[in-house]
Amino acid sequence: MKGYLAFTKKEFVEQIRTYRLLICLSVFFLFGLMSPLLAKLLPEILSGMDLQGMVLAIPEATAMDAYAQFFKNITQMGIIVILLVFGGVISNELTKGTLINILAKGLGRHTVILAKYTAMLVLWTLALAFASLVNHGYTMYMFDTSDISNLLFSLFCLWLFGAFLLSLIILSSVLTGGNFGGLILTVVVLGGLLILDLFPKLEKVNPIYLSSHNLEFLTGALMPADALLPVLVTIALLIGNILVSISLFNHKKL
Amino acid sequence: MMAVLELKNLEKSFGKLEVIKDLSFAVEEHSVFGFIGKNGAGKTTTMKMILGFLQPDAGEIYVNGERVAYGNSKTNRYIGYLPDVPEFYGYMSPKEYLRLCGEITGLPKEVTQARSKELLSMVGLENTNRRIRGFSRGMKQRLGIAQALLNEPRLLICDEPTSALDPIGRKEILDILSIARERTTIVFSTHILSDVERIADNIGVINDGKLVLEGPVQNIKNMKRKDTIQIVLSNQEMNTELMSRINELPFVLEGALEKDGILIKLTNAEKFGKEIMSLLVREDIPVLRYEILEPSLENVFLEVVG
Repeated sequence: MKGYLAFTKKEFVEQIRTYRLLICLSVFFLFGLMSPLLAKLLPEILSGMDLQGMVLAIPEATAMDAYAQFFKNITQMGIIVILLVFGGVISNELTKGTLINILAKGLGRHTVILAKYTAMLVLWTLALAFASLVNHGYTMYMFDTSDISNLLFSLFCLWLFGAFLLSLIILSSVLTGGNFGGLILTVVVLGGLLILDLFPKLEKVNPIYLSSHNLEFLTGALMPADALLPVLVTIALLIGNILVSISLFNHKKL
Repeated sequence: MMAVLELKNLEKSFGKLEVIKDLSFAVEEHSVFGFIGKNGAGKTTTMKMILGFLQPDAGEIYVNGERVAYGNSKTNRYIGYLPDVPEFYGYMSPKEYLRLCGEITGLPKEVTQARSKELLSMVGLENTNRRIRGFSRGMKQRLGIAQALLNEPRLLICDEPTSALDPIGRKEILDILSIARERTTIVFSTHILSDVERIADNIGVINDGKLVLEGPVQNIKNMKRKDTIQIVLSNQEMNTELMSRINELPFVLEGALEKDGILIKLTNAEKFGKEIMSLLVREDIPVLRYEILEPSLENVFLEVVG
Protein backbone atom coordinates (compact mmCIF):
# COMPACT_ATOMS: atom_id res chain seq x y z
CA MET A 1 0.00 0.00 0.00
CA LYS A 2 2.81 2.39 0.91
CA GLY A 3 4.53 1.56 -2.34
CA TYR A 4 1.30 2.16 -4.25
CA LEU A 5 0.81 5.59 -2.69
CA ALA A 6 4.45 6.52 -3.24
CA PHE A 7 4.39 5.50 -6.87
CA THR A 8 1.04 7.19 -7.52
CA LYS A 9 2.48 10.35 -6.03
CA LYS A 10 5.47 10.03 -8.34
CA GLU A 11 3.07 9.74 -11.29
CA PHE A 12 1.34 12.96 -10.27
CA VAL A 13 4.66 14.76 -9.92
CA GLU A 14 5.56 13.44 -13.37
CA GLN A 15 2.29 14.68 -14.86
CA ILE A 16 2.94 18.12 -13.45
CA ARG A 17 6.64 18.43 -14.27
CA THR A 18 6.43 16.96 -17.75
CA TYR A 19 3.54 19.36 -18.50
CA ARG A 20 1.03 16.56 -19.12
CA LEU A 21 -1.39 18.04 -16.62
CA LEU A 22 -1.04 21.49 -18.15
CA ILE A 23 -1.51 20.18 -21.71
CA CYS A 24 -4.58 18.12 -20.84
CA LEU A 25 -6.26 20.78 -18.76
CA SER A 26 -5.66 23.58 -21.24
CA VAL A 27 -6.78 21.54 -24.25
CA PHE A 28 -9.90 20.38 -22.44
CA PHE A 29 -10.55 23.90 -21.23
CA LEU A 30 -10.47 25.02 -24.85
CA PHE A 31 -12.96 22.30 -25.80
CA GLY A 32 -15.28 23.50 -23.07
CA LEU A 33 -14.97 27.05 -24.25
CA MET A 34 -15.05 26.44 -27.99
CA SER A 35 -18.04 24.14 -28.21
CA PRO A 36 -20.81 26.60 -27.25
CA LEU A 37 -19.01 29.37 -29.06
CA LEU A 38 -18.80 27.41 -32.29
CA ALA A 39 -22.45 26.42 -32.00
CA LYS A 40 -23.38 30.07 -31.60
CA LEU A 41 -21.12 31.43 -34.29
CA LEU A 42 -21.51 28.78 -36.97
CA PRO A 43 -24.89 30.05 -38.28
CA GLU A 44 -23.57 33.58 -38.32
CA ILE A 45 -20.43 32.57 -40.15
CA LEU A 46 -22.47 30.70 -42.73
CA SER A 47 -24.93 33.52 -43.21
CA GLY A 48 -22.11 35.98 -43.67
CA MET A 49 -20.71 33.97 -46.55
CA ASP A 50 -21.55 34.85 -50.12
CA LEU A 51 -23.47 31.78 -51.26
CA GLN A 52 -24.19 33.21 -54.73
CA GLY A 53 -27.90 33.20 -54.43
CA MET A 54 -28.31 29.90 -52.61
CA VAL A 55 -30.56 30.13 -49.66
CA LEU A 56 -29.57 28.18 -46.55
CA ALA A 57 -32.22 27.75 -43.96
CA ILE A 58 -30.24 27.62 -40.76
CA PRO A 59 -32.21 27.04 -37.63
CA GLU A 60 -31.34 29.05 -34.57
CA ALA A 61 -28.56 27.39 -32.56
CA THR A 62 -29.59 25.72 -29.32
CA ALA A 63 -27.95 24.23 -26.25
CA MET A 64 -28.12 20.86 -28.04
CA ASP A 65 -25.86 22.19 -30.78
CA ALA A 66 -23.39 23.35 -28.16
CA TYR A 67 -23.38 19.88 -26.61
CA ALA A 68 -23.15 18.24 -30.02
CA GLN A 69 -19.97 20.23 -30.60
CA PHE A 70 -18.71 19.36 -27.14
CA PHE A 71 -19.15 15.60 -27.50
CA LYS A 72 -17.68 15.69 -30.97
CA ASN A 73 -14.62 17.57 -29.75
CA ILE A 74 -14.00 15.33 -26.77
CA THR A 75 -14.55 12.04 -28.56
CA GLN A 76 -12.33 13.03 -31.46
CA MET A 77 -9.67 15.57 -30.54
CA GLY A 78 -9.87 14.82 -26.83
CA ILE A 79 -9.14 11.17 -27.37
CA ILE A 80 -6.25 11.95 -29.66
CA VAL A 81 -4.78 14.18 -26.95
CA ILE A 82 -5.21 11.46 -24.32
CA LEU A 83 -3.57 8.95 -26.66
CA LEU A 84 -0.60 11.20 -27.33
CA VAL A 85 -0.13 12.09 -23.69
CA PHE A 86 -0.37 8.54 -22.35
CA GLY A 87 0.56 6.35 -25.34
CA GLY A 88 3.89 5.17 -23.95
CA VAL A 89 2.98 5.10 -20.30
CA ILE A 90 4.60 1.72 -19.53
CA SER A 91 6.82 1.15 -22.55
CA ASN A 92 8.59 4.51 -22.11
CA GLU A 93 9.78 3.58 -18.66
CA LEU A 94 10.84 0.14 -19.85
CA THR A 95 12.77 1.46 -22.84
CA LYS A 96 14.49 4.10 -20.76
CA GLY A 97 15.16 1.73 -17.88
CA THR A 98 13.82 4.04 -15.17
CA LEU A 99 11.63 1.26 -13.81
CA ILE A 100 14.60 -1.04 -13.14
CA ASN A 101 15.77 0.75 -9.99
CA ILE A 102 12.25 0.91 -8.66
CA LEU A 103 11.45 -2.75 -9.28
CA ALA A 104 14.84 -3.78 -7.89
CA LYS A 105 13.67 -2.20 -4.64
CA GLY A 106 10.97 -4.83 -4.40
CA LEU A 107 7.99 -2.76 -5.57
CA GLY A 108 5.42 -5.23 -6.89
CA ARG A 109 4.88 -5.05 -10.60
CA HIS A 110 1.10 -5.01 -10.19
CA THR A 111 1.57 -1.88 -8.06
CA VAL A 112 3.20 -0.11 -10.98
CA ILE A 113 0.24 -0.86 -13.23
CA LEU A 114 -2.36 0.10 -10.64
CA ALA A 115 -0.57 3.31 -9.64
CA LYS A 116 -0.18 4.39 -13.24
CA TYR A 117 -3.82 3.64 -14.01
CA THR A 118 -4.93 5.57 -10.94
CA ALA A 119 -2.94 8.63 -11.90
CA MET A 120 -4.17 8.49 -15.50
CA LEU A 121 -7.75 8.10 -14.35
CA VAL A 122 -7.46 11.08 -12.02
CA LEU A 123 -6.06 13.26 -14.79
CA TRP A 124 -8.81 12.18 -17.21
CA THR A 125 -11.48 12.82 -14.58
CA LEU A 126 -10.07 16.27 -13.83
CA ALA A 127 -9.78 17.20 -17.49
CA LEU A 128 -13.27 16.00 -18.34
CA ALA A 129 -14.83 17.63 -15.28
CA PHE A 130 -13.06 20.88 -16.09
CA ALA A 131 -14.19 20.83 -19.72
CA SER A 132 -17.75 19.90 -18.74
CA LEU A 133 -18.00 22.67 -16.17
CA VAL A 134 -16.69 25.31 -18.54
CA ASN A 135 -18.86 24.04 -21.35
CA HIS A 136 -21.98 23.85 -19.25
CA GLY A 137 -21.46 27.27 -17.73
CA TYR A 138 -20.89 28.88 -21.08
CA THR A 139 -23.78 27.03 -22.67
CA MET A 140 -26.08 28.18 -19.88
CA TYR A 141 -24.91 31.72 -20.43
CA MET A 142 -25.63 31.67 -24.14
CA PHE A 143 -28.55 29.28 -24.56
CA ASP A 144 -31.59 27.99 -22.84
CA THR A 145 -30.60 24.70 -21.18
CA SER A 146 -33.94 23.81 -19.64
CA ASP A 147 -34.71 20.96 -22.03
CA ILE A 148 -31.46 19.07 -21.39
CA SER A 149 -32.03 15.79 -19.63
CA ASN A 150 -29.71 13.05 -18.32
CA LEU A 151 -26.69 15.35 -18.54
CA LEU A 152 -24.75 13.73 -15.72
CA PHE A 153 -25.41 10.25 -17.00
CA SER A 154 -24.34 11.20 -20.50
CA LEU A 155 -21.12 12.66 -19.11
CA PHE A 156 -20.63 9.54 -17.00
CA CYS A 157 -20.83 7.43 -20.17
CA LEU A 158 -18.17 9.58 -21.77
CA TRP A 159 -16.02 9.32 -18.64
CA LEU A 160 -16.40 5.55 -18.52
CA PHE A 161 -15.43 5.31 -22.16
CA GLY A 162 -12.32 7.32 -21.37
CA ALA A 163 -11.54 5.06 -18.41
CA PHE A 164 -11.85 2.07 -20.72
CA LEU A 165 -9.57 3.74 -23.24
CA LEU A 166 -6.93 4.32 -20.57
CA SER A 167 -7.01 0.64 -19.56
CA LEU A 168 -6.60 -0.22 -23.22
CA ILE A 169 -3.59 2.11 -23.46
CA ILE A 170 -2.01 0.38 -20.44
CA LEU A 171 -2.56 -3.06 -21.94
CA SER A 172 -1.19 -1.99 -25.32
CA SER A 173 1.79 -0.34 -23.70
CA VAL A 174 2.60 -3.51 -21.76
CA LEU A 175 2.21 -5.65 -24.87
CA THR A 176 4.38 -3.62 -27.19
CA GLY A 177 7.80 -2.12 -26.93
CA GLY A 178 9.06 1.24 -28.06
CA ASN A 179 7.64 4.69 -27.59
CA PHE A 180 4.71 4.47 -29.96
CA GLY A 181 3.80 0.79 -29.81
CA GLY A 182 1.13 1.34 -27.19
CA LEU A 183 -0.35 4.23 -29.08
CA ILE A 184 -0.52 2.36 -32.38
CA LEU A 185 -2.02 -0.79 -30.86
CA THR A 186 -4.69 1.24 -29.05
CA VAL A 187 -5.61 2.99 -32.30
CA VAL A 188 -5.83 -0.38 -34.06
CA VAL A 189 -8.14 -1.79 -31.37
CA LEU A 190 -10.28 1.36 -31.45
CA GLY A 191 -10.48 1.02 -35.22
CA GLY A 192 -11.64 -2.57 -34.76
CA LEU A 193 -14.33 -1.47 -32.28
CA LEU A 194 -15.52 1.23 -34.69
CA ILE A 195 -15.90 -1.36 -37.43
CA LEU A 196 -17.82 -3.64 -35.05
CA ASP A 197 -20.06 -0.67 -34.26
CA LEU A 198 -21.35 -0.89 -37.84
CA PHE A 199 -23.24 -4.05 -36.94
CA PRO A 200 -26.40 -3.01 -35.08
CA LYS A 201 -26.60 -6.33 -33.25
CA LEU A 202 -23.21 -5.83 -31.64
CA GLU A 203 -23.77 -2.18 -30.81
CA LYS A 204 -24.73 -2.75 -27.20
CA VAL A 205 -21.76 -4.92 -26.30
CA ASN A 206 -19.33 -2.35 -27.66
CA PRO A 207 -17.78 0.42 -25.50
CA ILE A 208 -18.08 2.73 -28.52
CA TYR A 209 -21.77 2.97 -27.62
CA LEU A 210 -20.83 5.12 -24.62
CA SER A 211 -19.12 7.69 -26.80
CA SER A 212 -21.52 7.76 -29.72
CA HIS A 213 -24.94 8.23 -28.15
CA ASN A 214 -24.25 11.00 -25.67
CA LEU A 215 -26.48 13.54 -27.34
CA GLU A 216 -29.42 11.15 -27.52
CA PHE A 217 -29.42 10.97 -23.74
CA LEU A 218 -29.63 14.75 -23.53
CA THR A 219 -32.57 14.94 -25.93
CA GLY A 220 -34.32 12.16 -24.09
CA ALA A 221 -34.27 9.88 -27.15
CA LEU A 222 -32.38 7.37 -25.00
CA MET A 223 -32.73 6.76 -21.28
CA PRO A 224 -30.01 5.57 -18.88
CA ALA A 225 -31.64 2.13 -18.74
CA ASP A 226 -30.86 1.71 -22.44
CA ALA A 227 -27.16 1.94 -21.70
CA LEU A 228 -27.09 -0.65 -18.94
CA LEU A 229 -25.59 -3.40 -21.04
CA PRO A 230 -22.89 -1.24 -22.66
CA VAL A 231 -21.96 0.18 -19.25
CA LEU A 232 -21.60 -3.29 -17.73
CA VAL A 233 -19.71 -4.64 -20.71
CA THR A 234 -17.33 -1.68 -20.65
CA ILE A 235 -16.66 -2.04 -16.92
CA ALA A 236 -15.98 -5.75 -17.42
CA LEU A 237 -13.61 -5.06 -20.32
CA LEU A 238 -11.85 -2.34 -18.35
CA ILE A 239 -11.22 -4.65 -15.38
CA GLY A 240 -10.19 -7.40 -17.77
CA ASN A 241 -7.69 -5.09 -19.48
CA ILE A 242 -6.08 -4.19 -16.17
CA LEU A 243 -5.93 -7.80 -14.96
CA VAL A 244 -4.42 -9.03 -18.20
CA SER A 245 -1.94 -6.13 -18.14
CA ILE A 246 -0.82 -7.09 -14.64
CA SER A 247 -0.46 -10.74 -15.51
CA LEU A 248 1.50 -9.97 -18.70
CA PHE A 249 3.68 -7.45 -16.92
CA ASN A 250 4.48 -9.96 -14.17
CA HIS A 251 5.94 -12.25 -16.79
CA LYS A 252 7.71 -9.63 -18.79
CA LYS A 253 11.46 -9.85 -19.26
CA LEU A 254 13.17 -6.70 -18.13
CA MET B 1 29.80 -17.88 7.45
CA MET B 2 26.45 -17.63 5.79
CA ALA B 3 26.06 -17.25 2.06
CA VAL B 4 24.08 -14.13 1.19
CA LEU B 5 23.83 -15.18 -2.40
CA GLU B 6 23.80 -18.68 -3.75
CA LEU B 7 23.40 -19.82 -7.33
CA LYS B 8 22.84 -23.49 -8.04
CA ASN B 9 23.19 -25.02 -11.48
CA LEU B 10 21.77 -22.02 -13.28
CA GLU B 11 20.97 -22.29 -16.98
CA LYS B 12 19.64 -19.73 -19.40
CA SER B 13 19.42 -19.56 -23.14
CA PHE B 14 17.97 -16.98 -25.48
CA GLY B 15 16.57 -18.96 -28.36
CA LYS B 16 19.36 -21.21 -29.48
CA LEU B 17 22.05 -19.19 -27.81
CA GLU B 18 23.06 -20.79 -24.54
CA VAL B 19 24.28 -17.93 -22.40
CA ILE B 20 24.54 -19.60 -19.02
CA LYS B 21 25.33 -23.29 -18.73
CA ASP B 22 25.39 -24.78 -15.27
CA LEU B 23 26.53 -21.77 -13.28
CA SER B 24 26.98 -22.22 -9.52
CA PHE B 25 28.64 -20.07 -6.93
CA ALA B 26 28.06 -18.63 -3.49
CA VAL B 27 28.96 -15.27 -1.98
CA GLU B 28 29.66 -15.09 1.73
CA GLU B 29 28.48 -12.28 3.93
CA HIS B 30 30.74 -9.21 4.17
CA SER B 31 32.87 -10.05 1.21
CA VAL B 32 33.39 -8.37 -2.13
CA PHE B 33 32.89 -10.70 -5.04
CA GLY B 34 34.24 -9.72 -8.43
CA PHE B 35 32.32 -11.31 -11.25
CA ILE B 36 34.62 -11.28 -14.23
CA GLY B 37 33.98 -12.11 -17.82
CA LYS B 38 34.30 -10.90 -21.37
CA ASN B 39 31.62 -8.70 -22.88
CA GLY B 40 28.66 -10.93 -23.61
CA ALA B 41 29.79 -13.64 -21.22
CA GLY B 42 26.46 -13.53 -19.37
CA LYS B 43 27.25 -11.28 -16.42
CA THR B 44 24.25 -8.98 -16.82
CA THR B 45 21.99 -11.94 -17.60
CA THR B 46 23.05 -13.58 -14.34
CA MET B 47 22.40 -10.41 -12.37
CA LYS B 48 18.99 -9.95 -13.93
CA MET B 49 18.11 -13.49 -12.93
CA ILE B 50 19.18 -12.77 -9.35
CA LEU B 51 16.79 -9.81 -9.36
CA GLY B 52 13.95 -11.83 -10.81
CA PHE B 53 13.91 -9.79 -14.02
CA LEU B 54 14.69 -12.81 -16.18
CA GLN B 55 13.52 -16.36 -15.75
CA PRO B 56 16.23 -19.04 -15.53
CA ASP B 57 15.63 -22.13 -17.66
CA ALA B 58 16.93 -24.32 -14.85
CA GLY B 59 18.56 -24.01 -11.46
CA GLU B 60 17.89 -22.09 -8.28
CA ILE B 61 18.95 -18.78 -6.81
CA TYR B 62 18.86 -17.99 -3.10
CA VAL B 63 19.22 -14.53 -1.61
CA ASN B 64 19.65 -14.51 2.14
CA GLY B 65 18.38 -18.07 2.21
CA GLU B 66 15.15 -17.24 0.34
CA ARG B 67 14.51 -18.55 -3.12
CA VAL B 68 14.22 -15.94 -5.87
CA ALA B 69 10.93 -16.09 -7.77
CA TYR B 70 10.69 -14.68 -11.28
CA GLY B 71 8.38 -11.71 -11.77
CA ASN B 72 7.50 -10.63 -8.27
CA SER B 73 10.64 -11.09 -6.28
CA LYS B 74 10.22 -10.49 -2.58
CA THR B 75 13.93 -11.19 -2.20
CA ASN B 76 14.67 -7.82 -3.79
CA ARG B 77 14.11 -6.18 -0.42
CA TYR B 78 17.50 -7.55 0.62
CA ILE B 79 19.16 -6.26 -2.52
CA GLY B 80 20.49 -2.93 -3.65
CA TYR B 81 21.03 -2.86 -7.40
CA LEU B 82 23.13 -0.57 -9.52
CA PRO B 83 22.39 -1.21 -13.22
CA ASP B 84 25.18 -0.77 -15.77
CA VAL B 85 23.61 2.47 -16.97
CA PRO B 86 21.29 3.65 -14.18
CA GLU B 87 18.36 5.76 -15.37
CA PHE B 88 16.37 8.12 -13.21
CA TYR B 89 13.37 10.36 -13.51
CA GLY B 90 15.01 13.40 -15.04
CA TYR B 91 12.49 15.81 -13.55
CA MET B 92 13.48 15.00 -9.97
CA SER B 93 16.37 16.22 -7.87
CA PRO B 94 18.62 13.60 -6.21
CA LYS B 95 16.96 14.26 -2.86
CA GLU B 96 13.49 13.81 -4.29
CA TYR B 97 14.55 10.62 -6.01
CA LEU B 98 15.90 9.15 -2.80
CA ARG B 99 12.72 10.18 -1.01
CA LEU B 100 10.72 8.23 -3.60
CA CYS B 101 13.00 5.22 -3.12
CA GLY B 102 12.57 5.45 0.65
CA GLU B 103 8.79 5.58 0.34
CA ILE B 104 8.78 2.58 -1.97
CA THR B 105 10.91 0.53 0.39
CA GLY B 106 8.71 1.60 3.28
CA LEU B 107 11.42 3.38 5.27
CA PRO B 108 10.20 5.88 7.86
CA LYS B 109 10.50 9.47 6.67
CA GLU B 110 13.15 10.52 9.20
CA VAL B 111 15.30 7.50 8.39
CA THR B 112 15.11 8.25 4.67
CA GLN B 113 16.04 11.86 5.31
CA ALA B 114 18.99 11.03 7.52
CA ARG B 115 20.30 8.34 5.23
CA SER B 116 19.80 10.40 2.07
CA LYS B 117 21.88 13.14 3.60
CA GLU B 118 24.62 10.75 4.61
CA LEU B 119 24.64 8.87 1.29
CA LEU B 120 24.54 12.00 -0.85
CA SER B 121 27.54 13.39 0.97
CA MET B 122 29.29 10.03 0.63
CA VAL B 123 28.84 10.11 -3.16
CA GLY B 124 29.58 13.83 -3.34
CA LEU B 125 26.13 15.03 -4.44
CA GLU B 126 25.07 16.72 -1.21
CA ASN B 127 25.02 20.18 -2.75
CA THR B 128 23.50 19.22 -6.06
CA ASN B 129 19.93 20.43 -6.00
CA ARG B 130 19.29 20.65 -9.70
CA ARG B 131 17.29 18.06 -11.53
CA ILE B 132 18.83 14.78 -12.59
CA ARG B 133 18.14 15.54 -16.27
CA GLY B 134 21.46 17.34 -16.69
CA PHE B 135 23.65 14.89 -14.79
CA SER B 136 26.81 13.44 -16.28
CA ARG B 137 27.30 9.71 -16.48
CA GLY B 138 29.58 9.71 -13.46
CA MET B 139 27.06 11.65 -11.40
CA LYS B 140 24.31 9.25 -12.38
CA GLN B 141 26.54 6.35 -11.42
CA ARG B 142 27.17 7.91 -8.01
CA LEU B 143 23.49 8.62 -7.47
CA GLY B 144 22.93 5.01 -8.53
CA ILE B 145 25.09 3.80 -5.68
CA ALA B 146 23.30 6.09 -3.23
CA GLN B 147 19.88 4.74 -4.23
CA ALA B 148 21.15 1.18 -4.11
CA LEU B 149 22.45 1.63 -0.56
CA LEU B 150 19.45 3.55 0.76
CA ASN B 151 17.63 0.59 2.29
CA GLU B 152 20.86 -0.79 3.80
CA PRO B 153 20.74 -3.90 1.64
CA ARG B 154 22.36 -7.15 2.70
CA LEU B 155 23.61 -7.51 -0.83
CA LEU B 156 24.74 -4.78 -3.20
CA ILE B 157 24.82 -5.82 -6.83
CA CYS B 158 26.69 -3.56 -9.24
CA ASP B 159 26.65 -4.23 -12.94
CA GLU B 160 29.88 -2.95 -14.45
CA PRO B 161 29.92 0.12 -12.23
CA THR B 162 33.11 1.55 -13.70
CA SER B 163 33.10 0.50 -17.33
CA ALA B 164 31.71 3.65 -18.85
CA LEU B 165 33.62 6.14 -16.75
CA ASP B 166 36.79 8.14 -17.17
CA PRO B 167 39.74 7.37 -14.85
CA ILE B 168 38.69 9.93 -12.24
CA GLY B 169 35.10 8.75 -12.24
CA ARG B 170 36.32 5.18 -11.91
CA LYS B 171 38.47 6.00 -8.95
CA GLU B 172 35.59 7.80 -7.26
CA ILE B 173 33.25 4.86 -7.70
CA LEU B 174 35.85 2.40 -6.42
CA ASP B 175 36.47 4.59 -3.39
CA ILE B 176 32.76 4.70 -2.67
CA LEU B 177 32.50 0.94 -3.02
CA SER B 178 35.41 0.51 -0.60
CA ILE B 179 33.43 2.50 1.94
CA ALA B 180 30.27 0.56 1.20
CA ARG B 181 31.97 -2.78 1.75
CA GLU B 182 32.07 -2.09 5.45
CA ARG B 183 28.30 -2.21 5.64
CA THR B 184 27.28 -4.78 3.11
CA THR B 185 28.20 -7.62 0.82
CA ILE B 186 29.08 -6.54 -2.70
CA VAL B 187 28.85 -8.44 -5.94
CA PHE B 188 30.12 -6.52 -8.90
CA SER B 189 30.74 -7.50 -12.46
CA THR B 190 33.46 -6.05 -14.59
CA HIS B 191 35.93 -6.69 -17.31
CA ILE B 192 38.42 -4.21 -15.89
CA LEU B 193 40.80 -6.39 -13.93
CA SER B 194 42.64 -3.68 -12.08
CA ASP B 195 39.33 -2.72 -10.43
CA VAL B 196 38.89 -6.27 -9.22
CA GLU B 197 42.40 -6.35 -7.84
CA ARG B 198 41.73 -3.15 -5.96
CA ILE B 199 38.59 -4.04 -4.08
CA ALA B 200 37.53 -7.66 -4.47
CA ASP B 201 38.18 -10.39 -1.92
CA ASN B 202 36.97 -13.22 -4.08
CA ILE B 203 36.52 -13.54 -7.78
CA GLY B 204 34.64 -15.75 -10.14
CA VAL B 205 35.55 -15.84 -13.79
CA ILE B 206 32.71 -16.70 -16.13
CA ASN B 207 33.49 -18.01 -19.57
CA ASP B 208 31.33 -19.92 -21.98
CA GLY B 209 28.44 -19.83 -19.48
CA LYS B 210 30.35 -21.53 -16.70
CA LEU B 211 32.47 -20.45 -13.80
CA VAL B 212 35.96 -21.42 -14.88
CA LEU B 213 37.83 -20.02 -11.91
CA GLU B 214 36.75 -19.10 -8.41
CA GLY B 215 38.42 -18.19 -5.16
CA PRO B 216 40.22 -15.49 -3.18
CA VAL B 217 42.03 -12.98 -5.40
CA GLN B 218 45.38 -13.59 -3.71
CA ASN B 219 45.22 -17.36 -4.07
CA ILE B 220 44.32 -17.15 -7.69
CA LYS B 221 47.12 -14.77 -8.43
CA ASN B 222 49.60 -17.09 -6.73
CA MET B 223 48.14 -20.27 -8.12
CA LYS B 224 48.86 -19.25 -11.64
CA ARG B 225 51.97 -17.54 -10.53
CA LYS B 226 54.47 -16.83 -13.21
CA ASP B 227 56.91 -14.24 -12.00
CA THR B 228 58.60 -11.76 -14.21
CA ILE B 229 61.91 -10.08 -13.56
CA GLN B 230 62.77 -6.95 -15.43
CA ILE B 231 66.41 -5.97 -15.85
CA VAL B 232 67.60 -2.73 -17.39
CA LEU B 233 71.33 -2.45 -18.06
CA SER B 234 73.23 0.79 -18.04
CA ASN B 235 75.21 -0.43 -21.00
CA GLN B 236 72.67 -1.39 -23.64
CA GLU B 237 75.28 -3.11 -25.76
CA MET B 238 75.55 -5.95 -23.29
CA ASN B 239 71.87 -6.86 -23.64
CA THR B 240 72.36 -9.59 -26.23
CA GLU B 241 75.19 -11.19 -24.39
CA LEU B 242 73.25 -11.28 -21.15
CA MET B 243 70.22 -12.68 -22.93
CA SER B 244 72.07 -15.69 -24.21
CA ARG B 245 73.54 -16.37 -20.76
CA ILE B 246 70.15 -16.11 -19.10
CA ASN B 247 68.43 -18.40 -21.55
CA GLU B 248 70.97 -21.06 -20.61
CA LEU B 249 69.77 -21.10 -17.01
CA PRO B 250 67.52 -24.14 -16.30
CA PHE B 251 64.82 -22.34 -14.26
CA VAL B 252 64.14 -19.64 -16.82
CA LEU B 253 60.90 -20.26 -18.72
CA GLU B 254 61.36 -17.52 -21.22
CA GLY B 255 63.66 -14.57 -21.69
CA ALA B 256 62.87 -11.77 -24.05
CA LEU B 257 64.48 -8.52 -25.02
CA GLU B 258 61.89 -5.79 -24.97
CA LYS B 259 62.28 -2.09 -25.50
CA ASP B 260 62.06 -1.41 -21.78
CA GLY B 261 64.70 -3.98 -20.88
CA ILE B 262 65.07 -7.70 -20.52
CA LEU B 263 62.00 -9.55 -19.30
CA ILE B 264 62.61 -12.94 -17.74
CA LYS B 265 59.72 -15.25 -16.93
CA LEU B 266 60.43 -17.84 -14.27
CA THR B 267 58.56 -19.92 -11.73
CA ASN B 268 59.78 -18.34 -8.50
CA ALA B 269 61.47 -14.96 -8.56
CA GLU B 270 62.52 -14.95 -4.93
CA LYS B 271 64.23 -18.29 -5.01
CA PHE B 272 65.92 -18.15 -8.40
CA GLY B 273 66.43 -14.41 -8.49
CA LYS B 274 69.58 -14.80 -6.47
CA GLU B 275 71.18 -16.88 -9.18
CA ILE B 276 70.42 -14.22 -11.74
CA MET B 277 71.93 -11.60 -9.49
CA SER B 278 75.03 -13.65 -8.90
CA LEU B 279 75.33 -14.09 -12.64
CA LEU B 280 75.24 -10.33 -13.04
CA VAL B 281 77.90 -9.88 -10.39
CA ARG B 282 80.11 -12.66 -11.71
CA GLU B 283 80.09 -11.30 -15.22
CA ASP B 284 80.50 -7.76 -13.91
CA ILE B 285 77.47 -6.41 -15.80
CA PRO B 286 76.42 -2.96 -14.58
CA VAL B 287 72.71 -2.90 -13.78
CA LEU B 288 70.51 0.18 -13.85
CA ARG B 289 67.39 -1.50 -12.56
CA TYR B 290 66.37 -4.91 -11.28
CA GLU B 291 62.71 -5.43 -10.53
CA ILE B 292 60.40 -8.29 -9.72
CA LEU B 293 57.10 -7.49 -11.44
CA GLU B 294 53.94 -8.27 -9.48
CA PRO B 295 51.85 -11.03 -10.95
CA SER B 296 48.64 -9.57 -12.29
CA LEU B 297 45.16 -10.93 -12.67
CA GLU B 298 45.31 -9.97 -16.28
CA ASN B 299 47.68 -12.80 -17.05
CA VAL B 300 45.48 -15.22 -15.15
CA PHE B 301 42.38 -13.97 -16.93
CA LEU B 302 43.93 -14.25 -20.36
CA GLU B 303 45.14 -17.72 -19.56
CA VAL B 304 41.77 -18.97 -18.33
CA VAL B 305 39.53 -17.24 -20.82
CA GLY B 306 41.75 -16.95 -23.87
